[in-house]
Amino acid sequence: MKKRWFISVLAAMTVMLSACGSSGGPAASSGSGGEANSGSDQVELRMMWWGDQARADLTNKALELFEQKHPDIKVVGEFSPQDGYFDKLNTQLASGTAPDVFFLGGNVVDYANKGVLLDLQPYKGNELKLDDMDTTMVQYGTINGKLVHISAGANARGIVINKTLFEKAGIEVPQDGWNWEDYARISKEISDKLGKGYYGTYNFTTDGMDIYLKQNGKQLYDMANNKLGFEEADILPWFQYWDQTSKAGGVVTPELQVSNPPNDASKSLIIKGKVAMTLLPSNMLASYQSLTQDELTMVQVPRGPKGTGVVFESSQGMSGYAKTQHPKEVAELMDFWINDPEAVKILGSNRGVPVTAEGRKTLEAEASAADKIVYDFTSRVSEANKKEPFAISYNPPGNAEFIKLADNTVQLIGFGKENVEKAVSDFFAGTVKIFQSNQ
Amino acid sequence: MRTSRRLPIHSHNRTAYAFLLPWLIGFFCLTLGPMLGSLYLSLTKYNLLRPPEWIGFANFKQIFTNDATFTHSLQLTFVYVLLSVPLRIIFALLVALALNKGIRGLGIYRTVYYVPSLLGGSVAISIVWRQIFDSEGVMNAFLGWFGLEGPAWIANPDYLIYPIVTLSVWQFGSAMVIFLAGLKQVPADLYEASQVDGAGKIRQFFSISLPMLTPVLFFNLIMSIINSFQAFTPAYVIGDGHGGPLDASMFYTLYLYLKGFSYFDMGYASALAWIMLLIIAVFTGIIFATSRFWVFYGDGKGGR
Repeated sequence: MKKRWFISVLAAMTVMLSACGSSGGPAASSGSGGEANSGSDQVELRMMWWGDQARADLTNKALELFEQKHPDIKVVGEFSPQDGYFDKLNTQLASGTAPDVFFLGGNVVDYANKGVLLDLQPYKGNELKLDDMDTTMVQYGTINGKLVHISAGANARGIVINKTLFEKAGIEVPQDGWNWEDYARISKEISDKLGKGYYGTYNFTTDGMDIYLKQNGKQLYDMANNKLGFEEADILPWFQYWDQTSKAGGVVTPELQVSNPPNDASKSLIIKGKVAMTLLPSNMLASYQSLTQDELTMVQVPRGPKGTGVVFESSQGMSGYAKTQHPKEVAELMDFWINDPEAVKILGSNRGVPVTAEGRKTLEAEASAADKIVYDFTSRVSEANKKEPFAISYNPPGNAEFIKLADNTVQLIGFGKENVEKAVSDFFAGTVKIFQSNQ
Repeated sequence: MRTSRRLPIHSHNRTAYAFLLPWLIGFFCLTLGPMLGSLYLSLTKYNLLRPPEWIGFANFKQIFTNDATFTHSLQLTFVYVLLSVPLRIIFALLVALALNKGIRGLGIYRTVYYVPSLLGGSVAISIVWRQIFDSEGVMNAFLGWFGLEGPAWIANPDYLIYPIVTLSVWQFGSAMVIFLAGLKQVPADLYEASQVDGAGKIRQFFSISLPMLTPVLFFNLIMSIINSFQAFTPAYVIGDGHGGPLDASMFYTLYLYLKGFSYFDMGYASALAWIMLLIIAVFTGIIFATSRFWVFYGDGKGGR
């Protein structure tokens, strides 16, 4: 009796166990199979992006329009702030529940290498028309010979200038063609003239690292040969430059850089009128301008030996999930995103300048003042690229860990915990380690 | 049934199992399975997106021989535990003693002090904490009244641990409620007898209250230590979410999370998780092993 009881409990447990073990499969497929309530052909897609509420409003509006034009497809949008977005995406990819379409940035290579992106080649020219898309952008989305990424906007990084602060300090706004000595000098002048609490520039050692390397004929990541594109000695001067400029007094203190990070628009000291310059992707200018009364503008990055090192490049784009049930519909959605004039109008240049010539024409017709500054800036960068071309860059594998290491190194130096040489030597060793473990 | 004479015992068992079933299902499905899974993963290289590759003990070797962040995060977590656990327990005990004086409105005070324990682990409170300790926040304004200039608590890596510890101490409520219940159990005649013998308040506390409270203290100590080792939300939200500035918020759990979900190294993260489990087990074991020397159950038999 006792035994029988025990066995029956055991049997019950086994049933339970196997029930919870296999529940992932059918549930997942029924989810993406659609509710099949209306017509049996209704397909449901999930799309995920990062950004703020303003971007979400635009995106949802565009998705509604897409549903109107494609009554057989329903799109469910999900979004989260950039912090945490990739953790969420990684978790979903690992559990096989990733959205059908998701946005990626310069880290697309990390995902392409892991084979989780949908090959869009079969749909090119049919559902997905790329004839009007800039060829450099098509190339950018082609990784290891597969088309896996469709850019949703292009931008170029430059120096955002708070003109109002420059006027207050009585300093002339810099022009394209300046160099890093000018940058350090002007930063210090601003800090000195405006006094306590005002600074010339944020510290962008990490964000500007690839630009600096390209200005000196190197790069972060040599994708063609799958190796690091620089040595310790190549990067040391960049850290030294920021250390010296900081010590001279032109740079935001490390504490302020932490409490008011430059990429958080709600806290940025550029917007609060306390910092005059920093590195900014051009697609962010309009939203920055909308948050401040101060007048902002953009100037090209200071030059190094080989030029500015900045390219007009994809800011972010869409990729499909390799395991999506509806690859054709995914391609249709991407096509709509870049080619449909109404969609282009709704989305504006929130994710960057449109990647099709037609799209740019549509937007230029009704550009705001800030948009015009951006168009003017990006066309200057494009012009400069014709004379001084630079390769388009991808983030190295293990990008998240690499960024963390770089930020740590900047803070080690900034808070005076280590001298530059020692910190950079550790930084380079760490970079090599991260790179190798992500092969 | 032939065995009807023995039925009562079996039906007791059956009832017990029936009541245990929800927990057993939870344990086998939600705890044991994933635990065994992570034990396997800890012996593999697993980047979340490709199938795991067997690498034996390489993760553990790397962790113990060539991982400065591991050492750092472990140190930081120990500092946190050693600061927050005693402070929280002392605070809880003091408040419980104060509330045990028979003041009016005890229920209200008990509730008010207990609320932080319910909220303390939440993201919202961590964000509030961030605001309070911001360099221009309430804390520094308060210090300003006394002519002191407070540091940038959140942004300066040297000070970040203190706001996180205070958040933990502020959640003394649950420990306090348990202490309070313990104090109510102390027989009043012990105090009366000691008063007759001429013992003062302090002598009473150390000779009567504290020994009588040791079983409760034992429980609170274990719960606090386990909780503190597993602290995650305060580090994630009060810090910058990546362990910064300068790894000052790189608690062990946060490092584990970043390794697994941001840096695509779930095998390594699983190995870290097992090391944490062992550390917590060792600490709990030590407290259990020493309990016979200091926990007094009042039945004359000492421990157990």
